[in-house]
Amino acid sequence: MIWSLSWKNIWRNKKRSFIVISAVTLGVVAGVFTAGLMKGWVDQRVEAAIYTEVSHIKIRNQDYLLNEEIKYTIPDQEKVVAELKNNPDVVAFSNRLKLTAMAASSRGNTALMLVGIDLNDEKKVSNVFEKMVPNAGTFFETDMGNPVVISDRTAEALRIKSYELSAEVLDSLAQSDIPKSVISKLEPIAGKKFITEKLFKKGLNTVLSKSEINKYGGAIRSAATHYRLRSKIVFTFTGTDGEMRYQTLKVCGIYKTTNAMFDQMNAFVLKNDIAPVAGFTSGENHEIGVILKEDVNARHFRDEMKGKFSGLNVMSWQDLAPDASMSSEYMNIYYYIIMGFILFALAFGIINTMLMAILERTKELGMLMAIGMNKKRVFRMIMLETIFLTMVGAIVGMILGYFVILITSHTGLDFSSVGEGFEAMGWSAMVYPEIELQFFIGVTILVIVTGILSSIIPARKALSLKPIEAIRTE
Amino acid sequence: MKVIEIKNLTKIYNGSSVQVTAVDNVDLVIEEGEFTAIVGPSGSGKTTLLNMIGGLDSPTSGEIVVGNTNLATLNSKQLVDFRLHNIGFVFQAYNLIPVLTAGENISFIMEMQGKPKKMITKRTIEILKEVGLADREKSRPNQLSGGQQQRVAVARALASKPKFIIADEPTANLDTKSTENLLDIMEELNRRENITFIFSTHDQRVVNKARRIIVLEDGKIVKDEQKNV
Repeated sequence: MIWSLSWKNIWRNKKRSFIVISAVTLGVVAGVFTAGLMKGWVDQRVEAAIYTEVSHIKIRNQDYLLNEEIKYTIPDQEKVVAELKNNPDVVAFSNRLKLTAMAASSRGNTALMLVGIDLNDEKKVSNVFEKMVPNAGTFFETDMGNPVVISDRTAEALRIKSYELSAEVLDSLAQSDIPKSVISKLEPIAGKKFITEKLFKKGLNTVLSKSEINKYGGAIRSAATHYRLRSKIVFTFTGTDGEMRYQTLKVCGIYKTTNAMFDQMNAFVLKNDIAPVAGFTSGENHEIGVILKEDVNARHFRDEMKGKFSGLNVMSWQDLAPDASMSSEYMNIYYYIIMGFILFALAFGIINTMLMAILERTKELGMLMAIGMNKKRVFRMIMLETIFLTMVGAIVGMILGYFVILITSHTGLDFSSVGEGFEAMGWSAMVYPEIELQFFIGVTILVIVTGILSSIIPARKALSLKPIEAIRTE
Repeated sequence: MKVIEIKNLTKIYNGSSVQVTAVDNVDLVIEEGEFTAIVGPSGSGKTTLLNMIGGLDSPTSGEIVVGNTNLATLNSKQLVDFRLHNIGFVFQAYNLIPVLTAGENISFIMEMQGKPKKMITKRTIEILKEVGLADREKSRPNQLSGGQQQRVAVARALASKPKFIIADEPTANLDTKSTENLLDIMEELNRRENITFIFSTHDQRVVNKARRIIVLEDGKIVKDEQKNV
C-alpha cells in the first residue's frame, strides 16, 4: 500500500509534478544525447585509428622509431611473418615500405610519407580504399603505370585540385535540391577556375548571401571540386645507398579520411613500383600492420610479440593513438560524470518540489503518524514518492533520448562548419551517435540514487513533524 | 474491566512568560464498553487530556495505564506501534487520505498492522457495511459528504480493532442529520460490539447520547456523571 500511496501522492498536484518530470525528462534526454554523441564520436575515432591509421598492432625495427631512416627495416622478417601467419589471433597483416619523400607537381610541393603496399594485403588491413573521394579516381583499380593515391589535402598542396562551376556542374546542381534562384546567382563566377578552396569561398561570397552559403555552400563546393587525375608527381627520397632517388608517379585516386594529419602525411604506392627504385631487392619492409580478432586484447598480443622478438618495436593501437585509447577507456566515466552533473542540478528542483509537497500535507502526515505510521514507513513513503517522480521523468527521457539517438545515428550530425578543427585532430566532423544498453542501466541506477539522496531532506522534514502539532495545522 | 487508568495526571505548558496548567492532577478510570463524553469550555483541557490518553502528548507528571501498559514506559517508536494496535482516532476534520478510496483508507491501517490481505479485504467490507457505506468502497473522500467522510474515519478507527476509540469533536463539522446518523452508528457499535468510545465535545447532541459525562474546568474534573440507561 505504501508503494501505491506514494505513486498516487505524486499525482496530487499534477501541474507541479509535470514541471519536475519535464525537467528531469529534458535533463535525461540531454544527458543521453550527449553521451550518445560522445560515444559515437569516440567509437568512430577508435575505428578510424585502428582500421585507417595504425591497425591493432604495428611492428617495426626498434631503431626506426628513433630515426625513420630507410635502412631500418624489420629484422628476421620471415620469422615474424611466419609467426603472424600461424597465430590464430591474427585476422590479417600487411607489410609496408615507408619512405620519407618530397612530392612535387608542376605547381606545388609537399613533404609526405610514401607508403609502399601490397594491394591485396593492405585492403585486408586498412580501409583507406573505402575512403576514396567520389568521382576522384580509384584505389589502384587502374591499368595506369606507376600509380599513386594521394589525399585531398595533398592534392590541394600540390595544386592539382581546383574548383570550377562548369556548365556540367551547374547542370548537376540544377538536378539537386538547390533552388534555381541560387543556381542562377552563380552565373557570374561560372567557368572561372579557383585554385584554392579559400579563393572559391571568396568567389561564392561575392554572389551568394551568408545564409545561402551556409545552406548550400558545401554541396556547391563539393560539386565544383575538380582533381587533375593522371597528373605526374615527382617523388624524391633517399635510397638504401644514401643517394637521392626520384620516381615519377601518376595520380590515380584521391582519398579523404577524417584525420587531416594522416591525410597530409600519407600517399600510397604499390610496393613493386617503388622498392627497386629505393634499392630494395629482397622484400624488405619497414612496418607490418596487423589486424586482430575482435575479442583479442591488443596489449596482450603486443607483449607476447615483444617476448618472442626482442629486436622489434611492437606497439598496440593504444600506444599509437593514445587520444583514441584514452577517450575510449574513460568514456564510461565521462558519461556518468555528465549524467551526474545533470541529475545533481535537477536534484535541487526535486528537493524543492518534495518540500512543498510535505508542507502542503503537514496535517495529513500528522494524522498518519498519530494513527500509527512509524518513522520508517514515513521515510519510505517520501523516498518512494521522490524516486517515482524522478524515475517517471528519467524513463520518458531515456525513451526520447533513445529515439533521438536512433534517428541521428542514421542521419548523422554534421559538424563540418567547425569540422576542420576536429579533423585536424583526427576526429570526424560527421558524427553518428550511438548508445549501449549498459548506459541506460547505469542511468537508471543513477536516477534511483538521485531520488534516494533527494528524498533525505524532505523525509527529514516530514520526520521532524510532531503529530499533535501537525494535526492542528490548517 | 479497566481499559484506561489515569493517576494524578498533570500537564503544564511552559509559555515564554507564564505557565499554563492544562490538566491538573486528574484521576480517571475508563471501563471497557463505556460511551464517555468529556465536556467543558474551550481551554478546559479536554483535547490535552485526550492527546495524552492517545499517547500523542506526554504528561508533566502522573501516569496513564492502557490495559496493562504504562504509556510512560514506552519509547517513541513503541508508542507509535502501541497507537497502531490499541487506539483508534477520529478527528474533527475527518483527515482521510484524499488519494485513497474509502475502502483503501480503511484497509491502509490494517496493512500497517501487517494483517493478511484476505482478512483485510473481508474486514474492510464488513466495517463499511457497519457504517452504512458498503456501496461507497471505491469512492474518494472528495466524492463523499462530510458525514460520509466522518463515517469512513470511524470505520478506519475501528479497523485496527483498538482497545478504545478517541474522538476529538467528531461532530463539529457536521450538520444535524449527519451528526445524528454518526452518533447512531457509534452508539450501535458500542452497544453491539462493546467498543469503548471517548469523545471530547461541545455538542449537546453528543452529550445527550453519552452514558458517562466528565466535565472539565481549568484542567480539573469538576463532575463525573454516569447516566442510567
